[in-house]
Amino acid sequence: MAEKKSIGHAYNIDFLNVVFAASSIFLFVSVIWMVWDDYDREWKGYQRRFAILEQEVTAANLKQLDQTIDKAAVQKLRQQHAEAEKLIAANRAKVNEREQQVREFTNRLYRVNQDYQFAKANYDVNRYDFEARRNKDPERAKQDQATIHEEARRVMELQLEVEKIEAERAAAQAELGKFTGAAADSQKKLEELTAERNRLEKRLNAIAPSVVKDFFRDAPLADFMAPTIKVQQVITPNIVDDVNFTRVVKMDRCMTCHLAIDRAGYENRPQPFRTHPNLNVYVGSNSPHPMSDVGCTVCHEGMGQSLTFRDASHTPANEKQRHQWEEQYHWEEPHLWDYPMLPKGMTEASCAKCHKSETFIPNAPTLTRAYATYERAGCYACHKTRGFEGVRKPGPNLTRIGSKLTPEWVKNWVRKPTAIKPATWMPQPWYTSNSNGPEDATRNEAEIDAAVAYLFANSETYEPAVANPPRGDAGSGKKIVESIGCLACHVTGNESRWDAGPRRTFGQPLQNIGNKTSYVWLFNWVRDPKHYSADTYMPDLRLTDAQVADVATYLTTLKGPAGEEAKAQVDQKATDDVLFDYLSAVMPVEQARVTLSKMDGKAKQLDLGRRTIARYGCFSCHEIKGFEKEQPIGTELSEQGSKLTSRLDFAFVDIEHTKLDWFHTKMKDPRVFDRNRVLRPLEKLRMPDFHTTDEETHLLVTALMSFQRDVQPKQALRQTSMRNDALVAGRNFVSRRNCVGCHEIEGNGGDYKKLLSDESLGPPLLTPEGAKVRPDWLYAFLRAPITIRPWLDVRMPTFGLSDDHLNGVIGYFGAVSNNMRPFATHEVVRASDATATGAQLFEKLRCQQCHVLGAIPKDQPTSNLAPDLRMASERLQPDWILEWLRKPSDIQPGTRMPAFWPDYPKSFYPELGGDAAAQIRAVRDHLLTFRGGPNPKTQTTQIASPN
Amino acid sequence: MDLIKSFFNLLADPRLFFLLTSGALAVMIWKRDAFARNVVGYGLLLGLTVFFLFGAFDPNFRLIIIKPDNVPIVGLIFLLLFFVWYSMREAVLNDQRVAAGKPPVEKEEENRVWVWPDLVYTELISLILCSVLLIVWSIVLKAPLEQPANRSVTPNPSKAPWYFLGLQEMLVYFDPWLAGVVLPGLIIVGLMAIPYLDTNPKGNGYYTFRERKVEITLFLFGFAVLWSSLIVLGTFLRGPNWNFFGPFEYWDIHKLEALTNVNLSEYIWVRALGSGLPSNWLTREIFGILVVLFYAFGLPVLLARRGLKRYYEKLGPGRYYVAVFLFLMMMSLPAKMLMRWIFNLKYIVAIPEFFFNI
Repeated sequence: MAEKKSIGHAYNIDFLNVVFAASSIFLFVSVIWMVWDDYDREWKGYQRRFAILEQEVTAANLKQLDQTIDKAAVQKLRQQHAEAEKLIAANRAKVNEREQQVREFTNRLYRVNQDYQFAKANYDVNRYDFEARRNKDPERAKQDQATIHEEARRVMELQLEVEKIEAERAAAQAELGKFTGAAADSQKKLEELTAERNRLEKRLNAIAPSVVKDFFRDAPLADFMAPTIKVQQVITPNIVDDVNFTRVVKMDRCMTCHLAIDRAGYENRPQPFRTHPNLNVYVGSNSPHPMSDVGCTVCHEGMGQSLTFRDASHTPANEKQRHQWEEQYHWEEPHLWDYPMLPKGMTEASCAKCHKSETFIPNAPTLTRAYATYERAGCYACHKTRGFEGVRKPGPNLTRIGSKLTPEWVKNWVRKPTAIKPATWMPQPWYTSNSNGPEDATRNEAEIDAAVAYLFANSETYEPAVANPPRGDAGSGKKIVESIGCLACHVTGNESRWDAGPRRTFGQPLQNIGNKTSYVWLFNWVRDPKHYSADTYMPDLRLTDAQVADVATYLTTLKGPAGEEAKAQVDQKATDDVLFDYLSAVMPVEQARVTLSKMDGKAKQLDLGRRTIARYGCFSCHEIKGFEKEQPIGTELSEQGSKLTSRLDFAFVDIEHTKLDWFHTKMKDPRVFDRNRVLRPLEKLRMPDFHTTDEETHLLVTALMSFQRDVQPKQALRQTSMRNDALVAGRNFVSRRNCVGCHEIEGNGGDYKKLLSDESLGPPLLTPEGAKVRPDWLYAFLRAPITIRPWLDVRMPTFGLSDDHLNGVIGYFGAVSNNMRPFATHEVVRASDATATGAQLFEKLRCQQCHVLGAIPKDQPTSNLAPDLRMASERLQPDWILEWLRKPSDIQPGTRMPAFWPDYPKSFYPELGGDAAAQIRAVRDHLLTFRGGPNPKTQTTQIASPN
Repeated sequence: MDLIKSFFNLLADPRLFFLLTSGALAVMIWKRDAFARNVVGYGLLLGLTVFFLFGAFDPNFRLIIIKPDNVPIVGLIFLLLFFVWYSMREAVLNDQRVAAGKPPVEKEEENRVWVWPDLVYTELISLILCSVLLIVWSIVLKAPLEQPANRSVTPNPSKAPWYFLGLQEMLVYFDPWLAGVVLPGLIIVGLMAIPYLDTNPKGNGYYTFRERKVEITLFLFGFAVLWSSLIVLGTFLRGPNWNFFGPFEYWDIHKLEALTNVNLSEYIWVRALGSGLPSNWLTREIFGILVVLFYAFGLPVLLARRGLKRYYEKLGPGRYYVAVFLFLMMMSLPAKMLMRWIFNLKYIVAIPEFFFNI
């Protein structure tokens, strides 16, 4: 460069020419590259591919439609049309003449109408001027008044003329119609018949490939005008994105690639072109969550505005999909969007954003089970959670533990609960991943010994109601347990927790209960659970003492492994050492030493026990004396799903740094994040190990992800109304008291029926209950159930619910049936003439063949039997009986009750002029004349219990 | 391989890093004749390239150098090195010519200006090539956008724009009012004052070192060592919690550094006098205040008598004091760094009562 030439140039100009040429070419190439880079977008490829797919699908639909179309009808209409055309041809001259007339009128109308429009426009201007002038100076404006009136008159004249010509033209058209009307009519009908076909054909033409479209409208740079491939989006005014400093309406562009998401017919197509799997509930325009209002990412999460696979923050459902995506889409773990998409199978977590604090949401089975699992695992007891406030402590009451268990058994139990009861939800606080080294054994045993000693030292005495119960027969006890419904809440066999599910682990698993407690305790417990524990949810099954003895005897035979033995011996020094650690954590070391030296051995153990229970939070789940006012020990989880990944400590655990990975890892082993860390014993993590399976982990993480910050505005949330509130409260109640363990309500629950060989022998469906039974009857029934179906083994227990709860349940059933009215006037039924017909029909339809009427019909399989009709007048809602008789399967699919009026409103029976409605009414009126059936109301007064 | 990496990790410790850059500057000036040779300049560039290529095989190193925000700093390292070497080479060549009795190379053809077509043409070419560079850059490196800003989550590490990373590094040693307000203000004032302080007419319009030894050395120290190399350090070597990480080290958020720094007052009252800290802030901090006053006002006087007497006479009292004051302010950064590293000194004057710390 510095070599200077003496001929007058600093540089070699020829060389510079070459450099200039080369750099110009570079510039040209890079500009083309820039345009291409801007043009070449991932989503455009999907839209091109979808155009081909849509064409294929539309063509197939068209073909199918062609086959289903009524060819005969089309043929007939075509013939009619041809006939009509002949009529026109025969009167050609007249038709031509009248057509000419209509044309002339139309032309005149056009001219006059234009004059009218102009006159009107000028008049409007002048009128305004006049108004403004008059407002300013009324006197001077007076002179213009006449002009304005004249102008208005002129406008009116023109308008009249327009109307006159219109009328004349209509007359001429009517004349013409005499010849052409028939043809137009048949043409219209033909079009109606083939409307869908024509629509498809039009669409097919529109999407067919064309040179203009493919090479010009969508070409680089030219595509700013009218491209056929373009970004699709919905903007949802009532659903917002929280971008920390403000909330903005959501703008979802997912449908730019997921082009068929709201169109039926693409169910089996590969992604991204698959139809949404549940159009009736989501995305469909008639669904409760239409795409235009709700969008996509409020449920699925992810970055709705993004247009690339990676930036949209898709989350793979499993390892296999992860690898596939990495290869196919260059997918990377999304770190730049705080709310990546929920993986498949977890989307229901988002339901809770708008359906707040609902433990059962219809159409969200995963979330429903997730919440049931969350509740069963008792997470809410240690971790405050919005929506789970006031739910009872999940573990048994330990304030009377001394009369129920032995210290030895309790120690073996807490070392590893699942060793004794595989289906238990009791987690394991000791010998977990951060405390199972050989050096931890002594400390563990010291803590266990002390905690158990504390429990027994603080146990109240309990006097059993029956001190020396007689023994019973285990065989018949087993029968009772397996038939009356115990298994709806309890597990007796070797079922795993996952197989039994959250509803059947509602009560303590009875596995190994023979080793656990004494016969006396079992007898007294089954006989009257509230005698031992006043707050228990365990109901009274109304067994006789002999039956109770059988059941208790059977339970003592359920024996299994004795559990984990102690892994180290605890001497006084071990207790001292551990207690010293606890003490020195809360007071100066010297003071700890002094405090320790002032206590004797027993006091030390009890103090250590109290501190151990406080540290591990046993009291969060169990009632323990001395901890009545303690706060739960866990982190609040109410907004855990919104927690940012940067707030989670991954320590030295080598996993992807995402929220889901952290939650999964934490649930699988709650203390794993202590791995490789140097910690003093009291600094260690203390969440106990629940030994969750992968499925349970998935459910619990789903529940966690559903606990979101409040972001969505009020308009997006489910509206509150008396009915909705009763629904939510009732749904929560029936799942928290495990009513749904036996009964199916609103499509939820009824697990017990799966244990039966014949589902019709199970507890009844309660979805229609609010429309079916009278509230006063239901109230009495729930207070003191009576036997409605004597042939069933399973029975409704006595729950001893409070009046608040009873009214809640009744209100809930009313809300389900949209029939919330505790008081209703039922028409007075008299034995009138219609009733006589009713009696006739009653005989004719042979109702008594299946229905009990005092006596149980003989020669019928039990599955055919039906309740005593004498109860109807007290029990059933008269309006409901009409609905039921008309079409039972509408109310209860699969019922054995026949539909006697399949041709409603016509009837097969001649009575009452063959009027089905009148017949049904007559039968109903007849039914309501029966008296004397079992009635809970008479019982209620007898069993006036003190609560 | 790991040995080499840990060697570089070790070298990049801020203490060593600062001492090495200062040392390299000193060696460069001292051995400038050797430094000016083509083989040294191109060899250094080649060595640097090899280092970056070698490092690119390491995932941690690669992550940090190809981050779109950091790519310009990689460029900065190469450009800085090249231009320092180039100007030093031109200066050395001119010095040799002058020593041989010839005028500097710029003096030749003094009466000719190469505008058309040379200047205009090369400018046009440069314009085109810069456009190409910017276009390709914008295509290849995507804008480093991150998740929506969140007032309750600050990024860790929170880094200033690259050109302020030197200032941010000063925050490790000084309070914000000094590192963020006073010292940057003095930098600007100082740069503006240069024409009035530096009245040496030599070196105007041509490269030279010998005629402007002190000026160039000071400038290079301030610009290359205190400003640019701290930018490099801040970009590549400061990780989560503003902890230091070697170039081949994983940025582990859990890494801890012991912060066991003590104030001067504690040294004097607690350790030397063993009497505990006085409660009155003035008594407590009197030594620190005296030290600072001496540094800002006593030292220039002392230096005028000894050491810098020649300058004092040349510049006159006003100009001399301003120049020395600015120089001392510049040197306060390395001084504080050294004191921090050697004595764990936190503050010379620490008056938390009214947020005044030096």
